[in-house]
Amino acid sequence: MGEISSDVIRGYNDTIILFLLLDSPSYGYEISKKIKSISEEKYLIKETTLYSAFTRMEKNGYIESYTQNSESGKKRTYYRITDQGRSYYREKCEEWNLTKEVIEHFITEGGENGNS
Amino acid sequence: METLKNYLESMFASLPNTVEVLKAKEELYTMMEDKYNELIAEGKPENEAVGIVISEFGNLDEVAESIGIGQMLQEYTYVDRNQIPSEEAEEYVQQYSQHRFWIGLGVMLLIFSPMSIIITSMARIGAFEVIGVAFFFLMIAAGVGIIVFTSINMSKWKYLDEQLCCIDYATANQLKLEKEAHRADKALLLTIGIALCILSVVPVILFSSLFKNFVFTEGIGPALIFVFVGIGVMMIIFAGGRETAINKLLALNDAHTVSGSYRKGQDMPDSYINPGIAGFMKSYWTIITCVYLIWSFLTFDWHITWIIWPVAAIAKTVIWNIWGAREE
Repeated sequence: MGEISSDVIRGYNDTIILFLLLDSPSYGYEISKKIKSISEEKYLIKETTLYSAFTRMEKNGYIESYTQNSESGKKRTYYRITDQGRSYYREKCEEWNLTKEVIEHFITEGGENGNS
Repeated sequence: METLKNYLESMFASLPNTVEVLKAKEELYTMMEDKYNELIAEGKPENEAVGIVISEFGNLDEVAESIGIGQMLQEYTYVDRNQIPSEEAEEYVQQYSQHRFWIGLGVMLLIFSPMSIIITSMARIGAFEVIGVAFFFLMIAAGVGIIVFTSINMSKWKYLDEQLCCIDYATANQLKLEKEAHRADKALLLTIGIALCILSVVPVILFSSLFKNFVFTEGIGPALIFVFVGIGVMMIIFAGGRETAINKLLALNDAHTVSGSYRKGQDMPDSYINPGIAGFMKSYWTIITCVYLIWSFLTFDWHITWIIWPVAAIAKTVIWNIWGAREE
């Protein structure tokens, strides 16, 4: 097992980011760091992927951005989840449960032949 | 850090210079910087940290897609701009600054020219006065000659106005640094130049109270006015040369240049939405000066007419606020 293929996980980047914003606003690097630690270093999100997700979700109204100086005095863009974002997150969770259930039927520990 | 910045610049080199792109670049840089700092804090050597950050950076096509310029990227009609290499830019700055020096020298000679007549006329001898007049014309000829010659010499840079040109990120950066470095020199030259112009009357006043000899009061004193003003004006002309050249080069890059890495500086000329107003504003101060002079000479109300200047300055701000094209 190497890295997760980015094609597979792409549809769930939004879900992952929204999850991390549920409790409190955050900024780019902090989110990528949390993704890395929560996934036990199995998923490293690329900076470009993260930024694209931010802009896309902001356009869709799921998150809002604002600038604020961090503790170190550096100007940073923070993101905060909106109510619309929360309901989208719930939708995505249900969608995942369904997906997982469906795919589960086709996954086997059996090896090459699959339907042993 | 420089490496990361350069890497990002080269990645963005093919994207147009828009607000979205600049914002994306800034954001991505912050993320890279955060990551880099943390890796360094963990004790990673600099090279390794840079390597990790770059390898985890990802692909810019994705970003282009999400900020809505993916389409643009494909359709982008690449306007062929003449990219000026940094040595050439440097040469231009150098030569323009010399050009301003020669112009200053030429103007100085023109200002000096009446001096010879004033001094030789002191002698009250015909032959001397002829020599004075001869020197007067000689100085004018020399001054005009210098100005014409240096202007012809500069004409090889005409292509900066005639062709679409641009400069790359590194050159722009270098020029900005150079401008900063010369700020103090410029201010000093300008101050001394202006001070000389103001002080030019001092010798006349001083000499007329110190000496009774008319050679000093009528000759050398007044002649010194021209010396002071001449040197002062020369310094004023020379002072802004380098900065003018740098500003001109920096202004080559605009929203249409690829390798967008330049933002309008504060001292760039203002731009206006309406082309008519833009044209008017270009010659704003010339027009105001004309109005001032015409009004003043027609009425001879010099004690009132000065009011034009503060009013004009306020009007300019108002016009800018209404029709000015701002960068968001």
